[in-house]
Amino acid sequence: MASIPLDAAELAISAPLRPRGGRRWRGLVLPLAAVALWWLASRLGWVNSALLVSPIQVLDTGRELVGNGRLWLALRASLARELTGFGIGTAAGLVLGALLGLWPRFNRLAGPSFNTFKQISLFAWIPLISVWFGLGDVAKVVFLSLAALVPVVVNTCDGIRSTPPALLEVARVYGYTRWQTATEVVLPAAIPAIFTGVYLALIYSWLATIGAEYLLVSGRGVGNLLIEGSEHFQMDLVLFGMAVIGTVGWLMNACARLLERRLARRFGRP
Amino acid sequence: MTETTVANELDLRGVGKRYASTQAGGGTLQVLQDIDLHVPSGQFISIVGASGCGKSTLLRLILGLDAQYEGRILLDGAPITGTGRERGIVFQDHRLFPWLTVAQNIAVGLRNAPFTEARKRELVAEHVALVGLEGFEQAFPHQISGGMAQRVAIARGLVNRPRVLLLDEPFGALDALTRSRLQGELQRIWQKERITMLLVTHDVEEAVFLGDQVVVMQPHPGRIRRTVAVDLPHPRNRSDPAFIRLRDDVLSDFLDPAERGPSEVLPAVPAPAIFPAPGRPLQLAW
Amino acid sequence: MSRSALSLQPGHAAADRPRITLSAADRPRITLSAADRPRLTSPAAGGSRIADSEATGPAAPRPWRAAPAWLRRGAARLEPLLLPLALLGLWALGAARGWIPAQVLPPPVFVVDTLRDLAASGDLWLHVQASLQRVLVGFAAGSLIGLLLGTAMGLSRSVEAYVLPSFNALVQIPVLAWLPFVLLLVGIGEPLKYILIAKAAMVPVALNTLQGFRQAPAGLREVGQVYGYSRRQQVLEIVLPSAVPTLFTGLRLGFTKAWLSLVVVELVASSEGLGYLIVYGRQLFQLDLVMAAVLVVGAIGYLIDRLLDLAERRLAGRRAAAAPGAR
Repeated sequence: MASIPLDAAELAISAPLRPRGGRRWRGLVLPLAAVALWWLASRLGWVNSALLVSPIQVLDTGRELVGNGRLWLALRASLARELTGFGIGTAAGLVLGALLGLWPRFNRLAGPSFNTFKQISLFAWIPLISVWFGLGDVAKVVFLSLAALVPVVVNTCDGIRSTPPALLEVARVYGYTRWQTATEVVLPAAIPAIFTGVYLALIYSWLATIGAEYLLVSGRGVGNLLIEGSEHFQMDLVLFGMAVIGTVGWLMNACARLLERRLARRFGRP
Repeated sequence: MTETTVANELDLRGVGKRYASTQAGGGTLQVLQDIDLHVPSGQFISIVGASGCGKSTLLRLILGLDAQYEGRILLDGAPITGTGRERGIVFQDHRLFPWLTVAQNIAVGLRNAPFTEARKRELVAEHVALVGLEGFEQAFPHQISGGMAQRVAIARGLVNRPRVLLLDEPFGALDALTRSRLQGELQRIWQKERITMLLVTHDVEEAVFLGDQVVVMQPHPGRIRRTVAVDLPHPRNRSDPAFIRLRDDVLSDFLDPAERGPSEVLPAVPAPAIFPAPGRPLQLAW
Repeated sequence: MSRSALSLQPGHAAADRPRITLSAADRPRITLSAADRPRLTSPAAGGSRIADSEATGPAAPRPWRAAPAWLRRGAARLEPLLLPLALLGLWALGAARGWIPAQVLPPPVFVVDTLRDLAASGDLWLHVQASLQRVLVGFAAGSLIGLLLGTAMGLSRSVEAYVLPSFNALVQIPVLAWLPFVLLLVGIGEPLKYILIAKAAMVPVALNTLQGFRQAPAGLREVGQVYGYSRRQQVLEIVLPSAVPTLFTGLRLGFTKAWLSLVVVELVASSEGLGYLIVYGRQLFQLDLVMAAVLVVGAIGYLIDRLLDLAERRLAGRRAAAAPGAR
């Protein structure tokens, strides 16, 4: 099952392709035109609906949320949950992935089961998780940990098992013990792949955060803002929330890509 | 710096290697057959042969990466067991660890050597100087050229003072100019260190340039066809007529008879007896 | 005889040499090519490179090796099942002994029974059908748009320059974040699902299509130029064939995402479908229903992924046979 090419394709979505060539201003034409159209439509009342809020209104709402601190509270809550889940999931994933990669017997026993488990859409587990862990933060963090765990395990294991045999032979020639080989050859060689896994884990856990807030409605968070907006027909809130989510995601991507470039220079590419 | 008191003789007696193969007749593929080779201490032996003659397999057997073979491989009279620090290797692909610096990569050779940290640092520094890479100790493999990387690999192969250094087509992946230069470097290093070296190559000129003996192998199954002694002084001169003669002699083993052109230089023939000179054969000068 | 001809050429005609499977370096098969890399799923190929026993090393001195081959192979087949069976056993035991209240985890038999009831009563098919219909329509629509968009951007740098940045920005907003927005626009009916699933599928398809077009090797395109290929010929006969594998990866990923989005959307805002079943069961504390639905979701997702995998393999196989080195 070609999970790694899919993961790589997944990454491509998160680290999107840049347009080639100069004249960057061309990229701004469409959005500016769209916003202008939007503003005109709301100004001149082309569409008769309470839903058509003007862009100015969205900005105002945004400013309000920032001003009265609601945005920061929500963002902080969401990010705290996300980073907790991400941390737990990544740590557990590294251990599990290393075990699967380094220990062939364990791989034979647990590998296929894990593969099957990761096939099932993660969100399908939320109702069960809500029964076992309630509707609050604990359940959300459990879910987020799972979301982060899967890509880390897959990529760590794959990275370990793809150690270039050429380097392993060098270790053999110089009498490296198994432990030395595992820690000084296999793991460093696997770092690019492990990083891919961690990168994906960050992305997935951010997506999972939003989803968890929809389905486990107690508590506050950015997703909750959106739900509130949709329940009260406040399109401006919804739009602003979307912009926030998009921006956070973009920031995470940008940071991760920067890190990836520095790592690639020293450790190579997966 | 050599420990000349220890005899580093490598002895191969009746060495053979076969694989189970569904494609070969009889179900087994005989890759090497009846290899008898004696490598005296401190000599440079070149093994030359076309692809498929098992020369790389032979190196792997000597190195100890493969323990299943027929015959015996003895180092100093004792059979080899697995890999060991007394047998070093330089692979064709340099196989440096990309996340380590040049100095750290050389130190990989000393990873489990019984030296103190200080001695290890000394050895690494010595060998950095030996291969001419002073100033690049902190560089990473992706920052240096292919030729330099291969020099690091040579340093790594030598750093724990092996008794025998095996080289598996070490310059095959480099461009012709770099290859030529590194051949000269290797010769200089060998002259200085006088470690027994066993080089495998498909380049006849390289084999004759570097070796004291050239072992010619032929494939299917891999056997030693003959051994040619290269009794020329070091450093070798590629334009020396005697060198060219030897080179062409070895090369003739690989050419189709139809391919030999009229310009082929034949081995020197002693002067006919028409001009007898007391006690001294006539030297033809050209 | 020129200097450069001093390296050995295989002087013998290639025809009278026996075909050996040895690699150029005569190495025994310790080295695996990228194609042979062990995958998590293959139980029998779990050889760790670190243990690094030689390919033809001496037989391990364990009594296991003395067992007949068929027994060993059978055991190897069963190995992946050990863990799930053990867990299943534990689960059944826990439910039977009352360690786990039925509210938290119903006995496995309940789940099986529920599944059977669902299937028998026809309810299962109803929900499966609803889900499948949504995902197929959404995926088809999204893929089509994605293909068109990706192709347009791939073929024309201007289009790409105008569209790609906006596209990238919109991609940053996950499907779930779009849900309230679309919900406000079209309400809670079928269009909501179609739109969201289409969006989920469109993104990877478009990006991979664009990537595929970009990756057409410049070398091949130059060949086309040299032989006077018209632009249309270049696109159809050089660029497109090179782009197909990446395109297919995009479709696969698009489908995976579509299926994922389907489940989420049905969990949040639906009155029928597998996701709905899950929520319904949860609300009634009928966990056996929940688990049954989860199993079905997993099974269907797995099946379709397998189908796509097969299709991709066939595609790759044909290409490898037809065009060696033309990648």
